[in-house]
Amino acid sequence: MKVRTIALSTFGSFLRNKVILLFCSLFACIVLLMMSPLLAYKAMTDASNAQQMQGFILNEVAGLMSLVSGFGSLLAAWAAADSMAGEMKSGTILAVMARPLRRWEFLAGKYLGVLLLMAVYVVAMLGVTFLLAWLGGQRFHTSLWTLLVYPMVRYAIWAAIAMFLVTLLHPVFVIGIVGILATLVQMSGSPRSGIPVWIRAPLHFALPLTGLLSEERFLVITRASLKPYPWTNHLTALAYGLDYALVWFLLAALVFQYRNLARD
Amino acid sequence: MAAPAIEFADVTKVYQRRFARVRVPALASVSFEVARGEVCAFLGPNGAGKTTGMSILMGFIYADQGRARVFGYRPGEVRAKERIGFLPENFAFYRYLNAEKLLQFHLRLSGRRVENPGALIAGLLAKVKLESYKGLKIGKYSRGMVQRLGIAQALLGDPELLVLDEPTSGLDPAGRKEVRDLILALKAEGKTIFLSSHILSEVEQICDRVIIIDRGRLVRAGALQQMLAEGNRVEIIVDQLPEDLEQAVKEQGASVERDLNRVRIAADPAQKRALAEMLWARGCDVISLTPMKSSLEEMFLKLVGGGGAE
Repeated sequence: MKVRTIALSTFGSFLRNKVILLFCSLFACIVLLMMSPLLAYKAMTDASNAQQMQGFILNEVAGLMSLVSGFGSLLAAWAAADSMAGEMKSGTILAVMARPLRRWEFLAGKYLGVLLLMAVYVVAMLGVTFLLAWLGGQRFHTSLWTLLVYPMVRYAIWAAIAMFLVTLLHPVFVIGIVGILATLVQMSGSPRSGIPVWIRAPLHFALPLTGLLSEERFLVITRASLKPYPWTNHLTALAYGLDYALVWFLLAALVFQYRNLARD
Repeated sequence: MAAPAIEFADVTKVYQRRFARVRVPALASVSFEVARGEVCAFLGPNGAGKTTGMSILMGFIYADQGRARVFGYRPGEVRAKERIGFLPENFAFYRYLNAEKLLQFHLRLSGRRVENPGALIAGLLAKVKLESYKGLKIGKYSRGMVQRLGIAQALLGDPELLVLDEPTSGLDPAGRKEVRDLILALKAEGKTIFLSSHILSEVEQICDRVIIIDRGRLVRAGALQQMLAEGNRVEIIVDQLPEDLEQAVKEQGASVERDLNRVRIAADPAQKRALAEMLWARGCDVISLTPMKSSLEEMFLKLVGGGGAE
């Protein structure tokens, strides 16, 4: 009950957060801008260039999905960091924590509030992606749940990492570190990154394998068809992601338990 | 025997800046108790460690050494917080909520089960005279209105102990009187109140006990009336005071202050008869003999030297 109260209050504050609203508006503009070349490709499509145009359209949709994923990760991290830091900086945390509420309950409520925001984001972005694909004359032949659950788990990881970091650092540093980590995740997964293997291997082990948690694994975007994966594969991948997020959340709870709650 | 409402035993807190070797001692071996049902003031100049003490009491920060307890529980424990209503200094709030919504939010967090939450909230808003502003966003409230709302949220869980950090801060004289009356009414209900304030005249009117700290150290703790009685003096005004007699008066522990055409002698009330008889016997005309009650402010300034902490 108390965790839910904090979660709903956190979610409500996000809907009024000017920074988040501004970024979401900018992102919506980018998405709308992406629609114009898509519609142009579609208008230019005829029997002679159908395959080439389809390739353009699918690349456009694939680009959007990457953008949505990258922005979502940053949004999750920012929302988690800002909601915690904002409470501490403004001092609202004092009246809240004076209530019979355990520190981990407060943190869990904040975390759930971030996940609620990300759930809305995932559903909205999925709608936009489907709309773009439909406008381009394509269809997704995949089960919806993979497109909903996989990004949620990924965002849960970034939110948990940000929540841990913000118990120690200013939120701007948190976003910087999350950005660096996300870049390292990309680089450590690729043998062509130029990073020596003795650095790449431990990084690959320590950093979240967001590639494993990417819904694009189940989506061949150029053919818009679902790759057949057994359910055990989904189960292990999702369990890995949730376990990773849980570890960071527990670390955040541990640090938060012993930190001063006085105004920063 | 029931545990005291508040217990501090050798509580020490030192702040250390991250990545720096600067250590700022905020509390040094502070010990005191507040009994149930008492109204106790926690006083000290700015930077004395009052807010640190209250933060330890609420479980917001941890003491480095010593033992702090609230109704026998560790500060920050849910069982302790269930019994506390807290008003932080400069009460901060979610600006986008209105008073009613904020109190509903805090009521849900308090875990208090009430049959009619709406009536409870309306009653509290009426108590702090905010009922006509309940729909207005708190961001548009004046400082005094925010302070009143803070008091209402502190009372929300029907607490046994109220911890009030500067409860009359930002209030006009009428508002301050209302808060004083409210505290006295809560005292009559048997609630324990632990408050900090810089307005010592108010403290004198409502508190049973006083704890004074300065630069993190306990300077004085005790029953207010007893402490004030120790500082009571009697003022004897005479027309003249020969120098040899002045010496004899001073030997009795009195102080002498000469005006243009009269002399003021301030002495312990126990000495008044002996002094008056001595003055009469030596031919001095005793113009008046007035008992002088000491004020908390005088005592406070005497104890802390009138200066804030570095």
